[in-house]
Amino acid sequence: MAQNKKILDARNIYTYFYTESGVVEALDGVSFDVNYGEPVGIVGESGCGKTVTAHSTLRILPKNGKTVAGDIIYKGVNLLDLPDLQMRRIRGKEIAMIFQDPMTSLNPIFKVSDQMTEVIALHRKCNKKEALEIAIETLDQVGISEAEKRITDYPHQFSGGMRQRILIARALALQPSLLIADEPTTALDVTIQAQVLEIIKEMQKKLGLAMMLITHNLGVVAETTKRVHIFYGGRVVESGPTEEIFLDPKHPYTYALFESIPSLEKDKTRLETIPGNVPRLINPPKGCRFHPRCKYATEICSRVRPPEFKFGKGRRVACHHFEELDLHIDMESIRESKAIKEEA
Amino acid sequence: MTTLEEYETIDLFSNWDQKTQPIITIDNLKKWFPVSQQSVLFSRVVANIKAVDGVNLFLNKGETLGLVGESGCGKSTTARVIVKLEKPTEGSIYFKGIDIFQPMSREEELAVKRQLQMVFQDPYSSLNPRRMVLDLIKEPFDIHYPDMLYEEKESRVLEILAKVGLEDYHALRYPHEFSGGQRQRLGIARALAIHPEVILLDEPVSALDVSVQAQILNLLHDLQKDFDLTFMFIAHDLSVIKHVSDRVAVMYLGKIMEMCPTGELFRKTAHPYSVSLLSAIPRPDPRIKMDRIILEGDVPSAINPPTGCPFHPRCYKAQEICSKVTPQLEELEPNHYVSCHFPEI
Repeated sequence: MAQNKKILDARNIYTYFYTESGVVEALDGVSFDVNYGEPVGIVGESGCGKTVTAHSTLRILPKNGKTVAGDIIYKGVNLLDLPDLQMRRIRGKEIAMIFQDPMTSLNPIFKVSDQMTEVIALHRKCNKKEALEIAIETLDQVGISEAEKRITDYPHQFSGGMRQRILIARALALQPSLLIADEPTTALDVTIQAQVLEIIKEMQKKLGLAMMLITHNLGVVAETTKRVHIFYGGRVVESGPTEEIFLDPKHPYTYALFESIPSLEKDKTRLETIPGNVPRLINPPKGCRFHPRCKYATEICSRVRPPEFKFGKGRRVACHHFEELDLHIDMESIRESKAIKEEA
Repeated sequence: MTTLEEYETIDLFSNWDQKTQPIITIDNLKKWFPVSQQSVLFSRVVANIKAVDGVNLFLNKGETLGLVGESGCGKSTTARVIVKLEKPTEGSIYFKGIDIFQPMSREEELAVKRQLQMVFQDPYSSLNPRRMVLDLIKEPFDIHYPDMLYEEKESRVLEILAKVGLEDYHALRYPHEFSGGQRQRLGIARALAIHPEVILLDEPVSALDVSVQAQILNLLHDLQKDFDLTFMFIAHDLSVIKHVSDRVAVMYLGKIMEMCPTGELFRKTAHPYSVSLLSAIPRPDPRIKMDRIILEGDVPSAINPPTGCPFHPRCYKAQEICSKVTPQLEELEPNHYVSCHFPEI
C-alpha cells in the first residue's frame, strides 16, 4: 500500500501572486510528498518557492496570493477543499510550523506562558492550568532550564537560540503529526545552530514526526533529512534520497549548486559559478526555467518544459538531457583530505 | 592617463620596511561603547559594552586574513576602527609603521584613508539610492583627488566598472536597478576606485545566494592578484573563510582566541573554541558522521564578560585557573598564536 505511506502528498500545485506589476508564478506545478515519520528537506535559493510551498500547504498565503490548481492531500483529505473552520483545526494541531525569524514570531508584549497556553488550551481542549503544565513540560524537553520560572518571562528576555526553542516547544506541545520548519536555524550562530538542530533531530526521532525542513543550507539538509526536494524557480527540479542526490546529482542545477559552495573538505582555488541570477518569477524563462544559466542547455530547453523522469529508488529529475549527462561530484579530493585528517 | 600615484603629494610611509614589517599591526586594541542612563539633567555611564577587548593581530602585505567569529564578537567593530570610522578606547593601530590615531593633518589623514578601504556587508543599504552609479563611484575621487579633471574621473569610473564585471551603461543607473550580487560588485568598485593597499571586507557575501556568492568570491580572488591587494575578510561562515584566506584569526567576545595559517586551523586546531566551532558546522556530505561537540548556553553578554578566559563558562576543558587568569595570545608554534591555558597542541 504505497498510498498509505504518505502523510502529505502534494500534486501539481500552482500558486500565483497577483501584484501591480503582473502575475508572479511562485509555484508552477510543484509536486512533492512526505512519508509518515520521515524528515524531508526542501532546498533552494531565495525566491525559488520554498516558503510559498509551506504557506500554500497551510493555506496561510497573503491576500494577493492564491493556489489556483493542484491537490494537497494530507492523510487522505484534500486540504485545498476543506472549509475554513476545519482548516483551522488542522493548523497547529495536525500540521505545525516553525518560522524563520525567532525574533518576530513571538509577540513582544505577552509573556511566553500566555503565548503558549493560549494555543495549547484551544487545540488540546484543556483548561489553563493543565495547559501551563504541558507548556512547562515541553519547554523542559527542548532544553530550557528552570522552565517553571522562565515561562513567565517576556520574549525579549530570551536569546535568539532560546526563542527558537520556545517556538519549537510551542509547535510540539500540540502533538502534531507533521512539522514544517522554515529555515529554523538561519538566523542563528553556528554553535547555537548546532544546539537547535540537535533538539529538532532528537524530538523528530522521539515523537516519530514527519518533518518538512525548508532551508538553503546544504549542510543542514545533509545531516537532518532522509529525502530531499530541490527547488528552482518555482518548480521541483530533482528529488530523491538525500544521500544519493548529494553524491550523484542528476540535474545540472543541483550539480552546479553543490559545486559552487566552498567546502571544508575540498581544496580549490576557484569555485564553479552559475552565471547570472536567480530568475524573476514575474516573467520567468520559457521551457526549462534553468536554461538561461545552464551550460548544457540546447534549443529544446528554451521551448519545452522538461518532463519528469523517474528512476532508481524514488528519484525524480526534470531535465531534458538527464540521460546523456554524466555529472558527478569530484569525491577524489574529499577522500584525500579525509585520509590526511585520519593520519593526524 | 597618469597613474594615481602621481597625484600623491605627501610621502608618509617612507620608513616602512615592506620585507620585515606587517602592513597593519594592531596592538591591544580596545573599543568600549558606553551604556548611559539618563536622569533629569545628566546622563551617567552605567556600563560599557566591551565590543573589542584587547585585540592583537597583524596583517602581512598581499595576504588575506580571515576574521571569523559569531555575531557580536567584535569582528565588524575591529574593522571599523581600522578604517577610522570609530576611535579606539585604548591601544593603537599601526599602518605601514605609522600610528593612524596620532594627531595628523587633513592631508596626512586622507593619505592614510586612501590606502584603507572597506566593503560593507549589506549591499542593499550601503549604497545611496538617490545617486547614480557614476556619482557613487566618482565620490572617492572627488574627496581624494579634487583637482582631477571630470573627464578623467569619468573614465576611471568606467575602467573600474569593467574590472568588477559591470558594463559602461550601468554607470547611468541607480542602485535599485541592480541585483544583490551586482550591488556587491558596486560596493567593491567603490572601495577599489582609488587603488587602496588594504581592503576590509565585512561579510561581503553573507547576504547573497550561494550561486552568486561563488561569483563574488572568484571576483575578489582575481582583483587581489590584479591590484596586489591585502584583504581582511570578515565572515561567520568557516567554509568561506577556508576558501579565501591565507591566515585565520578566530575571535570570541572581543578577543582573538587563535591565529594561524588556514591549513593549520583545520589540521592542528589548538583552541577549544575553534575545535567546537569547527565541529558545529553542518557538512554537505551525508556520509560524514561526526561526534559533535555541542556547546552549552549562549555567548555571554559583552557588557559583563566572564573573568579570566572569556570562553571558560562554555569550555569543555575549563579548570579553575581559566576563570581567574586571562590567557595571553602566545606563539606556541611558528606563526600559530593561541590564547589558552590548555591548548590542544
